[in-house]
Amino acid sequence: MVQTHRCEDHETVGENKEKRPKFFINDHVDILIEILKRLDGRSLCVAASVCRLWCTIARNDSLWENLCFRHVSPPPSSVRSVVLALGGYKRLYTGCVRPVRSRLGRMRKASWARDEVQLSLSLFCVDYYERLGGSNSNGRLVGESSPSSLMFLCKPVNV
Amino acid sequence: MVLYDSATLGGSCSGSSSSSSSSKPPPLQQRQQTQQDIDGLLAGAGYRVRSSELRKVAQRLERLETAMVNSPADLSQLASDTIHYNPSDLASWVDSLLSEFIQPPNCPSAFIMDAETNQTVVSDAWTTAEPHMPQVHQNISYEQQSLNNQLTVDNQLTVVTAMEEDSGIRLVHMLMTCAECVQRGDFSLATSCLEDMQGLLTRVNTVCGIGKVAGHFIDALSRRIFQGIGGGSINGGSAYENEILYHHFYEACPYLKFAHFTANQAILEAFDGHDCVHVVDFNLMHGLQWPALIQALALRPGGPPLLRLTGIGPPSPDGRDSLREIGLRLAELARSVNVRFAFRGVAASRLEDVKPWMLQVNPKESVAVNSIMQLHRLLGSDLNRNSPIETVLSWIRSLNPKIMTVVEQEANHNQPGFLDRFTEALHYYSTMFDSLEACTVQTNKALAEIYIQREIANVVSCEGSARVERHEPLSKWRTRLSGAGFRPLHLGSNAYKQASMLLTLFSAEGYSVEENDGCLTL
Repeated sequence: MVQTHRCEDHETVGENKEKRPKFFINDHVDILIEILKRLDGRSLCVAASVCRLWCTIARNDSLWENLCFRHVSPPPSSVRSVVLALGGYKRLYTGCVRPVRSRLGRMRKASWARDEVQLSLSLFCVDYYERLGGSNSNGRLVGESSPSSLMFLCKPVNV
Repeated sequence: MVLYDSATLGGSCSGSSSSSSSSKPPPLQQRQQTQQDIDGLLAGAGYRVRSSELRKVAQRLERLETAMVNSPADLSQLASDTIHYNPSDLASWVDSLLSEFIQPPNCPSAFIMDAETNQTVVSDAWTTAEPHMPQVHQNISYEQQSLNNQLTVDNQLTVVTAMEEDSGIRLVHMLMTCAECVQRGDFSLATSCLEDMQGLLTRVNTVCGIGKVAGHFIDALSRRIFQGIGGGSINGGSAYENEILYHHFYEACPYLKFAHFTANQAILEAFDGHDCVHVVDFNLMHGLQWPALIQALALRPGGPPLLRLTGIGPPSPDGRDSLREIGLRLAELARSVNVRFAFRGVAASRLEDVKPWMLQVNPKESVAVNSIMQLHRLLGSDLNRNSPIETVLSWIRSLNPKIMTVVEQEANHNQPGFLDRFTEALHYYSTMFDSLEACTVQTNKALAEIYIQREIANVVSCEGSARVERHEPLSKWRTRLSGAGFRPLHLGSNAYKQASMLLTLFSAEGYSVEENDGCLTL
């Protein structure tokens, strides 16, 4: 469905190029944001490498917030402050939500979407806590290695 | 036993066997008296075998049997062989027959080697592959040293993989024998068992599987035999070391994560609707359990409560207040997510030294007590004073907590009999090591294994107050806790769901969560 949107965009641009060559999607940032909001994680990262404007927009945390809570009913507003404090939605998505969703995808039931997000949030919090320890001068509590409590979410290939 | 069966093998061993089978001396006594001498029983049947060589001879007889069964064509050659081997010297006889089977018959027949070689020395002298690699063919060396007429040739047949399994099973049997000797107090036999086992270990793969576990148990047994039951270096690890090992254990396998998340879920549900809550943690370590609880409390409908956390931990040497540092980190986390938080650290080297007034519980707040694998340390009964577990449970009860979460190992390692304990521990820790290997996480598992190894050493080699790893099964804990005035609370489907999800995330084979009348087991 997203691809269709994109095609339409291109078509519009193509058509309009003949009629009104002055329409660029980059002039209409709100439309761009609406489109990018509906992308999946990988496409969003790809979109971030298109141009500087797209990169800035893609880095905007609200896009990633949409991504995290897409399949879940809109969360209470308190979640936002918590997530932002813990490192932001992009980090939440790439670090926790995506691996959790992909691993649980096989056995996912509709009712588990909310629990997945909650579990991801908890794991995210533990990760933040470990990062806190690493940045302290007393980082030797956790050892000299980087925070590793989320390592089990990484696929062995990536490591 | 194999010995006695094989004595009837070998077609051509007739001759000068005196049939004095009427008066048999009592077997056990005889064997122990003639340690380095000829075995009395077989001597009665006409064979002269040294008692110390009984096991080796039995093994070779087995191999001979296999070889004979596998290559019946060579039997005819044996029958017409003009070289007479002295059958009463059973060891040399079977060795020479074995060599006949493996070698072509027109080979020089003098295979004389040093009688005292154990497995490791022999392997150095060979020019071919090491003995414990699979699919290695037999290695025979031709050193012509004329010593006493003990012919010992160590042949490795091509069925090495079967032998490895066989060695593994043999190791287990020897471990049990050794444990039995220790229980009886027969330390000399136990020592010789230990030496045999160490020799056998070189033939088994010690990187994984039964070899590794057996290695740890052999270490623990030798610790017990040679260093006594005081514990010593096992229990003397510094608090800092323990924290590191604990952390690696936390990462390498899902047990602790499962424990933390499940306990948090229970505490969260118990605190529903309360605005002033107090959590007492019996073993703070790095406080890895609490960020998730803080976050869950921050996001609960109705807003976060005022959270107080009291962490108990061992006093840290060299002036560093590790409890306070952890508390500061947790406080910073809580501040970021807008949860009102207060921390208090209680330093105590033993749990029974903690008194309830140290916790400063406010009567208006709801209390949760969290014990992750701490209560079993209190089960050592000292007859001079009240049993510590009852003291601790009674003051916990006096705090009137809203909920008490207890996480323990599901094992039976607190039996008074050493052999029973040893057997149970062998099964439990073999499974645990297997489970560790099933985890596909890339972290360095060596430190996690050392953590488990310390537990093994404590269970096997310590007694009395030094033995702190006194695990008891679920049923006993249930009775104990309800006897202290606690009512069991079912964990609920949320906890179960969360635990299953966590396990799926860990993507390890063979793990499962079970619900056992309200308790979750991993």
